[in-house]
Amino acid sequence: MNRALLLGLATTRRLAGGLALLIGASFLIYATVRLAPGDAVDAITPMGTPPEVRAQLAAEFGLDRDTITGYVTWLKRSATGDFGQSLVFLPGATVMEAVWEPFLRTLVLSCGSLLACLFLALLGALLLGEPNARQQVVTGPLYVLTSAPSFVVAVVFAQAMNWFIFTYFVKAGYQAPPWFPIPILTESIMPYVFAGFALVAGDGLFMDYLNAMRAELLNLRRSQFITAVKAKGARTAGHIARNMLVPIFSGYAARLPIVLGGVVIVEYIFTIEGAGYVLLEAARARDFPIVVGVCVLFTATIITVSLIADLVRALADPREVARGG
Amino acid sequence: MGANRVAFWASGFIVAVVCLLGVAAPFIDYDPASAVDYDQQLVKPSMAHIFGTDGQGRDVAIRVLKGIEAFFLPGLLASFIAVLLGALLGAVAGYSQGPLRAGVIGLLRLLDTLPRLVFIILVVTIFDPSITLIAVVAAVLFIPPIATVIRRKVEALGSEDYILAHIAHGFRPSRILLYHILWLQCRPILIRQATFVFAYVLFVETGLSYLDGYGVQEPTPSWGNMVAQTRKLPSDVFWPWIVPAIAIVVTIAGILSFGNLLARRDEEANR
Repeated sequence: MNRALLLGLATTRRLAGGLALLIGASFLIYATVRLAPGDAVDAITPMGTPPEVRAQLAAEFGLDRDTITGYVTWLKRSATGDFGQSLVFLPGATVMEAVWEPFLRTLVLSCGSLLACLFLALLGALLLGEPNARQQVVTGPLYVLTSAPSFVVAVVFAQAMNWFIFTYFVKAGYQAPPWFPIPILTESIMPYVFAGFALVAGDGLFMDYLNAMRAELLNLRRSQFITAVKAKGARTAGHIARNMLVPIFSGYAARLPIVLGGVVIVEYIFTIEGAGYVLLEAARARDFPIVVGVCVLFTATIITVSLIADLVRALADPREVARGG
Repeated sequence: MGANRVAFWASGFIVAVVCLLGVAAPFIDYDPASAVDYDQQLVKPSMAHIFGTDGQGRDVAIRVLKGIEAFFLPGLLASFIAVLLGALLGAVAGYSQGPLRAGVIGLLRLLDTLPRLVFIILVVTIFDPSITLIAVVAAVLFIPPIATVIRRKVEALGSEDYILAHIAHGFRPSRILLYHILWLQCRPILIRQATFVFAYVLFVETGLSYLDGYGVQEPTPSWGNMVAQTRKLPSDVFWPWIVPAIAIVVTIAGILSFGNLLARRDEEANR
């Protein structure tokens, strides 16, 4: 068979696998809802919900049927992007209206931070080379610092910024000169920058990524085919770059769930109205359709990104496709 | 080697202190309501209050100590569940063939795609928001990575000559799996993963307690809700929250590096 056909087959197989995963994972989420003790509608609605809303909710979630048919009902609706209506958080709005824009913000924030982290890790891996005892003086403490949870980093960072602004700007009566482009008191883009910094610096993400990239790079440089390339007198950079594609993408996909966890609390700290912020507010108000909607959206994101990583693997590594993987 | 020794003993010391205090904390009487003393608000660290007092005049040191209770037992429980089920499922998937193997691997992949923190928040919304429940859910969500590592290891070892010799010798599969493979060969992996799950429970507990209305609620102390005081304090008052914040970072780093270094020692000793 020719390569294009094999590649097409591999792509189709991966897409089907991703879809199956999404259906299975959404069933897990749905089944969790159905495990609620007592009356499921009671468990998922705030106190004093009017009966017509309760009935509507029961119909939307298929709570009046058994778990399997109920799931099919719910899946049919949610497959069209209809996750029902918000109860308390934004009454009257559909879940998608309430969640979609915040979700895009979260996506930009988390994927962007992880991209920055990847960039820094690659840079570090290229600069540091072989590990040695002298480097441990720096990497050891850095390991300790970056294993802090992102929310602690965010709190410390927000606090330090507040203190700094308060002492040196507000108390001192200092005004930013008119030419200074960024508003000093945290408006506009600043919360995103700090939140992104906290996500990169926290949760052990950076050092873990750096170590992984370093190990991959070292392995690659020591491998025989690179020696062969060198022996031929050719340049190795292109070969190394192409072979690094797979670990870069699969490492990215493997770490995204960690960032999507950290981002929920970090958004809350910097009051960025992302999906995590909406999720926390909605969960506190027991606005259940939104909670489920965000959960499904995050799951879909994780599956999509790992699907992309898988496709990159298939494209970059012909052996993968030839093996029928 | 020298730096590693220092790191090993330093992180071992941190883990020992946390364990000791975690065991001792429940025996210390502490009533958060009667600790409130409005004459002693925001006292700076001194001999009477080594970490100072918080916005309600409560001693920070004893609250940090009692805060260990919030995650200690749930963390141990979660590590135990995750490692036990992860190792067993991984061993089953690695050893068996056909539909059982495919079924276990599929189930693990499903669990692995769930966004952990968001799913925990979903569960907390439906069921009661106890830390024990959070820990159990976290443990279940951490089964896939553990089981996957163990499965790969079992698959790799399954074709080794000495394991084949054990099979030829007529050892029961359960004995080969549990003793010769899991205990003798996978111990370092399991140590690493157990400390990882413990650290994750600490992260989730403090993270959720940091948010109003989730996790451990005031006035019961948790390192997370102590850090949350930043929202109410003037920006030049830092002692009520910096101590628990440092405690979180040091404990997580200590536990993770202790697990890592202990596992590495184990690997080197077996080589």
